[in-house]
Amino acid sequence: MFGRYRLAAYDEMFASAGVPRPHYAALHERLIELGPDELERRDKVADLTMRQQGITFTVYGRDQGVERIIPFDPIPRLVSAAEWDRIERGLKQRVRALNLFIHDVYHKRHILKDRVVPADLVFGASGYRRECVGLAVPRDVYVHVSGIDLIRDAGGEFLVLEDNCRTPSGVSYVLKNRQVMKQVFPLLFEQYNVRPVDDYTDTLLAVLRAIAPPGCDDPTIVVLTPGIYNSAYYEHSFLARQMGVELVEGRDLVLDRGQIFRRTTRGLERVDVIYRRIDDDFLDPLAFRPDSMLGVAGLIGAYHAGNVGLANALGTGVADDKGIYPFVPDMIRFYLREDPILGNVETFRPLIPAHRSHILANLESLVVKSVDASGGYGMMIGPASTHAQREEFARKITANPRGYIAQPTISLSRHPTFVQGHLDGRHIDLRPFVLYGEEITVMPGGLTRVALPEGSLVVNSSQGGGTKDTWVLHETAGRPTPIAAPGPFARN
Amino acid sequence: MLSRVAENLYWMSRYLERAENVARLLDIGLYLELDAPSLSVEDGSAPVEIALEILGCREPFQAARSTRERSAVLDFLTFDRSNPQSILSMIARARENARGAQESLGVDAWIEVNRLYLYLCGPRAQKRYRSSPSSFYTRIKQSCILFDGLLHNTLPRDEVYHFVQLGRYLERVDVMGRILHAKCLALTQGTADADLALQIVRWTGLLRSCSAYAAFLRVERDRVEPVGVIRFLVLNPDFPRAIRFCVARCRESLQEIAGGDDDEYASEAERLLGRLDGELRYIDVGEIFERGLVPFLDGVKATSYKVGEEIKHSFFLT
Repeated sequence: MFGRYRLAAYDEMFASAGVPRPHYAALHERLIELGPDELERRDKVADLTMRQQGITFTVYGRDQGVERIIPFDPIPRLVSAAEWDRIERGLKQRVRALNLFIHDVYHKRHILKDRVVPADLVFGASGYRRECVGLAVPRDVYVHVSGIDLIRDAGGEFLVLEDNCRTPSGVSYVLKNRQVMKQVFPLLFEQYNVRPVDDYTDTLLAVLRAIAPPGCDDPTIVVLTPGIYNSAYYEHSFLARQMGVELVEGRDLVLDRGQIFRRTTRGLERVDVIYRRIDDDFLDPLAFRPDSMLGVAGLIGAYHAGNVGLANALGTGVADDKGIYPFVPDMIRFYLREDPILGNVETFRPLIPAHRSHILANLESLVVKSVDASGGYGMMIGPASTHAQREEFARKITANPRGYIAQPTISLSRHPTFVQGHLDGRHIDLRPFVLYGEEITVMPGGLTRVALPEGSLVVNSSQGGGTKDTWVLHETAGRPTPIAAPGPFARN
Repeated sequence: MLSRVAENLYWMSRYLERAENVARLLDIGLYLELDAPSLSVEDGSAPVEIALEILGCREPFQAARSTRERSAVLDFLTFDRSNPQSILSMIARARENARGAQESLGVDAWIEVNRLYLYLCGPRAQKRYRSSPSSFYTRIKQSCILFDGLLHNTLPRDEVYHFVQLGRYLERVDVMGRILHAKCLALTQGTADADLALQIVRWTGLLRSCSAYAAFLRVERDRVEPVGVIRFLVLNPDFPRAIRFCVARCRESLQEIAGGDDDEYASEAERLLGRLDGELRYIDVGEIFERGLVPFLDGVKATSYKVGEEIKHSFFLT
């Protein structure tokens, strides 16, 4: 099973060769018992289940209709109670600060006046929305749903790699992976006391209810999707189904006298809250991109008038801009007067001349990222790059220093992963999901993404990444409580 | 409910119903041709080839294929994606529609239609089709029936359910009309006694392609002859594939959706269906033959088309 397993970077399972960390010991033993053939069989069952349920995503830049399942790796990733406690506190702190930052940027701008964050960086961010200046949102909450990407460095330290404050996706995979794991590996669960994740959609629903326009006791909530060809359509549909609300497309909604309505078989019916899975730019062709076919004309007007709630709020992209990212620890100190619990990855900014020359001299060892791209697009990993790519990025950086950042290439932690009939180490990250309603809640777990090609550091599904179920463990292993048997069945 | 979702459900249901009917037609067609090779006549009314007529795609077939061989017809109507009436094309469209209405359908029903589509695209379907067409078509029919059963046993009787029903039964009225129309010409021609055995094979085939043979025998208790068959397939109030039965179900669902009742209709579609329902209730089979079976069926077809248009305007284009 582990015969060909090699240690490198921080290994999640093994403390040293052949010696599992304490919380992994039971899993390690169970995997050896199962053996490769049985694992292979169950892996196939899991794959088939996902495919039949249509848990697929669409790959961009190819023929339309190329549907793929995200490869699912059956070896769960475990997070001990102590590790999780720190992550949870760190995420709450970070999201609270990011939210205060967004509010500040669109109102008093203290942080800019005090020169903690350079004003031109903020106003130059592609996610900055002038339309939001002075706009009040319910409870001053902007980032209702966020996904914060964490990695572990060589010392096992959790670091924030990037913040996703607009429309982070992946939560449906967390919930689905758990369901599939329970079907395929029921016995494994009995050995661990895993914290459940299923109440995510209930909490999300409560968050959405809380942003209904004032005086609206029983709000009509919808999930707004770009449509069935969007790569995350499955997730949009899944969330709507789990919350018991309607999934709508832009063409299903219409503005009438300042209110948003949906077109139903019985005429127009009012909509109070929209969980939108469409970027700001495409939300309203009157306010933003006039060529958008996905949005609703006049939506922003209705939002301004307070007639409809939007989650996430407009303009949150200013906080997850990679040019702003280096300043998040400063935001935490500025707004909360606390030290950051979770650190950032060291980041170089070409806008600073010393940084720029450092970047240009060390392209081979750095990761360069475009500040407004995501999903593994628009980046260059130095050690894996070609000479031509480095030349290209050097030109781009020099021409547009605001547009890029660079970070040392961090060897993400590795985890046993089932590849070609045996277990081998593959690099992983973790995207926990944070909900911000009356308070901040962090779903225990998150999406563990795994870079399947050997040695690869890119975990994005669009670039050949897979996923794992993530088990956050309770302090103690628990025993299930027995349920009293019901009486016998009637018979003749 | 959302107009778009209602439209998705309605069309999903229509495509699945049509695909199931095509599978049954081809399956029975093959069976008949094997049973009585003399039915494989050259005038295009052979049991398999006539499916082209029923689906209105004889011309596209001739344009696409240079042969009239049975295997070409079967392939054209089963796997050819360029033919919108092929089983694969229809299942693909049913699936796209179902995907847009997943939240209403429920996971299990969605999985079933998705699974059927993935099966048809994959190598196992081709293999089964080559080794035993009959078992292949049976697999498709079973999947459609399973889907139907899932909806029946899981959906609340609300708008979602009724749009599904409306699509299914309106499609069935249309398909039944087409099948009878295409086959009755060959079936009602006067025949010499020598051909009688063959005619009975044909009439039996017609009943079988509507899954109606066993029920017919129980209800009509007669030998298989045109008047009884038409009476059964058009006017029977209890048989789920009889036109009268389907029209009544369409009307019921429409009433549930739009809020009309027996005293008053709430939409033009309901009025049209009510009138047809009344006619089917009180017409006598003799009167159908007096009027001419073909003009009668044309009338049914025209009504079902108009009803479809009215449904579109009343519920989908809001």
